[in-house]
Amino acid sequence: MPKPHQKGIYRNSGGERDFYDHDFRGGDRRVTFKHGGTRGGKFRNRDWSNAIRSHLEDEDIDMNVGSGSGKSFRKGKKGKGGRQGSPMPLSAKKLLNSPTGWYRVSIPYGNKYEKSFMAKLIFEMLAPLDFCPIAWQTNGTTVIFYVDDDKVAEKILSLDRQVPLPNGFKLIVKVYPGTPNVDMTPAIKEKMKLVMAKRYNADNKALDLTKFHADSDLQENFCALFKPIVFMSVLEIIEQNIPNLEALCLNDNKLCVFGFLKKVSQRLPHIKILHLANNKIRDLMQLDAFIGLPIVDLLLDGNPLCDKYKEQTAYISEVRKRFPKCQKLDGIDLPPPITFDINEEGTMPDAQQTFLCNVEGEGIVRQFLEQYFQIYDSKNRQPLLEAYHENTMFSFTSAYPYGLNKDKNVPWLNWYQTDNRNILKVQDPDRRSRLLKQGKLSVVSLLQEMPETKHDIHSFTVDLTLYTPQMICLSVSGMFKELKSGQKNPPTRFFFRTLVIVPAGTGFCIANEQYHITNATPEQAKEAFKTPSLPVPASGTAAPPSTPEASPIIHTVSPVLDNNSKQELVNQIALKTGMNLEWSIKCLEGNNWDFMRACSTFEDLHSKGVVPAEAFVK
Amino acid sequence: MTNVETKAKIDQACRVAEEFTKVFYDYMDKKRHGIAKLYLDTGVLSWNGNGVKGNEQIQKFIIDLPTSDHTLVTLDAQPILDTAVNGQLTFMIQASGTVKYQDKSPKTFQQNFIVTAQAGKWKIVSECFRIQEPLGK
Repeated sequence: MPKPHQKGIYRNSGGERDFYDHDFRGGDRRVTFKHGGTRGGKFRNRDWSNAIRSHLEDEDIDMNVGSGSGKSFRKGKKGKGGRQGSPMPLSAKKLLNSPTGWYRVSIPYGNKYEKSFMAKLIFEMLAPLDFCPIAWQTNGTTVIFYVDDDKVAEKILSLDRQVPLPNGFKLIVKVYPGTPNVDMTPAIKEKMKLVMAKRYNADNKALDLTKFHADSDLQENFCALFKPIVFMSVLEIIEQNIPNLEALCLNDNKLCVFGFLKKVSQRLPHIKILHLANNKIRDLMQLDAFIGLPIVDLLLDGNPLCDKYKEQTAYISEVRKRFPKCQKLDGIDLPPPITFDINEEGTMPDAQQTFLCNVEGEGIVRQFLEQYFQIYDSKNRQPLLEAYHENTMFSFTSAYPYGLNKDKNVPWLNWYQTDNRNILKVQDPDRRSRLLKQGKLSVVSLLQEMPETKHDIHSFTVDLTLYTPQMICLSVSGMFKELKSGQKNPPTRFFFRTLVIVPAGTGFCIANEQYHITNATPEQAKEAFKTPSLPVPASGTAAPPSTPEASPIIHTVSPVLDNNSKQELVNQIALKTGMNLEWSIKCLEGNNWDFMRACSTFEDLHSKGVVPAEAFVK
Repeated sequence: MTNVETKAKIDQACRVAEEFTKVFYDYMDKKRHGIAKLYLDTGVLSWNGNGVKGNEQIQKFIIDLPTSDHTLVTLDAQPILDTAVNGQLTFMIQASGTVKYQDKSPKTFQQNFIVTAQAGKWKIVSECFRIQEPLGK
C-alpha cells in the first residue's frame, strides 16, 4: 500500500501507480506535475484539494490493483517509462475485467472542455471502435461516463496521458469496472416509453430492445436492462401499453439474471418470439423466469451458457424442457417434438358475432331487436307492452363475472338482487313462482322500473337457434351503459337475454324471456361504444345481408287504437257474447283487436263448447 | 290453464333445470362421447356464434373442444307458453358460470337451452353458449 504521504502526489499525477517512484526519488511534489513548470501555486493548491477528495476514493482503486497483475512489477519496470513520458506499452495499464461488462470512465479536469469536444476527441482516438458513452456527467471537475464494451474500455484506458489537449496537458483517464445506481424517476420512465414506442412494430407486434441503453434518446441516462429496476420498468410499460406483444428482442443488453422476474407468463402471455443473443446468461436455469410463455422461437447465441453444452441434443432438450413448443432455436429449425396422440389441445373456434339457423329469420330478428332496444333505451318503456304476449313469462338473474366480484373497484349489481331468480339460491317453490313475472303488465312494469340504459348495438351478438312458423328462439348479448344510477361513471353492464318469440297479428311478440345482467369485463368495456352509431346492423357470417322491409315488426295493433276505442270494443264484445270484461279483452287481444274476427272466433269456440265457464262469470 | 297448473309447471321447470344441468355439464366435462343422446336428432347448437345442426355433428363438435370444467353460478328456468309449442311440455333454461379450458384461467359464460319431453326423455331442442369476452379476439 502506498504510504499516506505519497497519496497526494499520486493523485495529482492522474492516478497511476507509476509515479510513486518519482515521489520516492525526487521527494518534491512538483515533480508529479507532469506537464508542470508553467503552473503556479494556485494550481497546486487546487490540485491538493482534489487530491484529498481522491484520497477518499483510494480504497476502491487499491482493490482493483490488488486483483490485477501486481503493482510491484509495474512499479519497478514500467514506472520509469511513464515518468519519462515515453509512449507506454498498452499492456502497462491492465484493465480489470468487469463481470457485468460495464466500465466507469472518469476524466479528471474533463470539465475544462465541452462534452462535444471531449467526446469527439475520444471517438477519433478509438476508431475503428465505436464510442458510445452512456450517462455522461460532470461531477466537480471530473467527467464521468460509462461504456459497455471490454475493448473500448481497454482502448480508452490506453489513452491515459497519451493524448495532448489544447492546453498543453495530456488527457488523463481512469477506467474501472462499475455502474451507477439507477433512480427510476417518472421522467426517465416516460423517456423509456417513448423510445419503446419508437422501437415497436405494430404490424407484427414486435418490440426490438437491442442495446436499449445505447439508444440515442436514452444515452444521457443509465437505462441498462441488466439492472432489475430498469428491466422491471420496461416490463411494466409493455404490460400497460402493449399487452398483446408477441415478439421481444433483448439482444446485446448484458442481461445476466432473471430471478427477480415474477409471473412473466401471466403479464406478457403472448410472447412467442424471445431473442436474448449476446448477453451474459450463464445458465439455462435463468430462463425459468419465462416458463409458461408460448415460445416458439428462442435466440440464445452468444451467451456463456451455450458453451456449457457439448452435445447439441442436450442443449435442445434443456430448452424444450422449459419451452416445449419451441420450434426454432438460435435461428435453426428444430425437428418437431414427438408427442402423444391424444389431441390434448382441442380447438377453440373463434367467436362469431351472429349465428342464424335460418337466414330467412335475419330481417325479422334485426327489426324486432332494433325496435325493442330503441324503446327500451327511451325514457318510457310502456310501449314495450306491444312487444310482450298477454301471458308472457319473464325471469331475471344477475351475477358478477369471474374474478370481478363485488368490491369497491367494480360497479355493484345491488339493484338487480331483488328480482334475481337464481334457482341455485332461491329454493322455495313459492318464491320461485313469485319471481317469475307473468303477464305483460307485470313484466313491463318491472322493465319500467329498471335503470335507464343506452345499449351499444354494435357490441351485440345474436344467436337464432330456432325459427319455425310457430316460434322463434334467439339469444342476444351485448353491452349497455346504465344511466342515472347515481354513480360517477355510468357503469358498463353486459347482458344475455333469451327470447321465445311467437307470431302475433301482423307482427311478433315475446312469449318467454330470460334476462341475465352482469358487469362488462374491463376488456369488454374498452370495446364498448367504440363504433359510432350507424344504421348498419351487425351482420353475421352465417347469412348474406338481406333487405328487410322497414315495417314495424313488433306486434302492433292495426289500425292503432287508443284506450277509449279499445274500451268501447271490450264493452261491445262483452254485450254480444255475454263474457265478462276480462275474457272479452283476452278474446280481442287474441284477435288483434279485430272486432269481427273476435266475434267469429268466439262463436267457433263457443259452438265447440271450449270456452270455460269462468269466462261468463261476472 | 289454472293458476295451480301453471305453478306446478313452473315448479317442474325448475326441478328439471336442476337435474338437467347436473347431467349436461357432467357429459360436457367428462363424457363427451355420449353427449349426442342429450339432443334431439335435429338439435341445434350455437357455440360462441358457431352453429352446428344435428346431434351427431354436435357431439363431434364438442369432442373437438379443449377439455372443460364448468361451474354454475346462476340458473333459471321457465315453461314455454303453450301457444309457442302447441302444448308440448317445453322448458327454457338459462345458466351462467365459469368455465376452465385445460389449465387456462377461468372464463365467464352464459348459456341457454330449450329442452322438450320426447318419449319420456328430456332432449335439447336448441342451445346457445357464449363466453363473456370481447369479440374479435
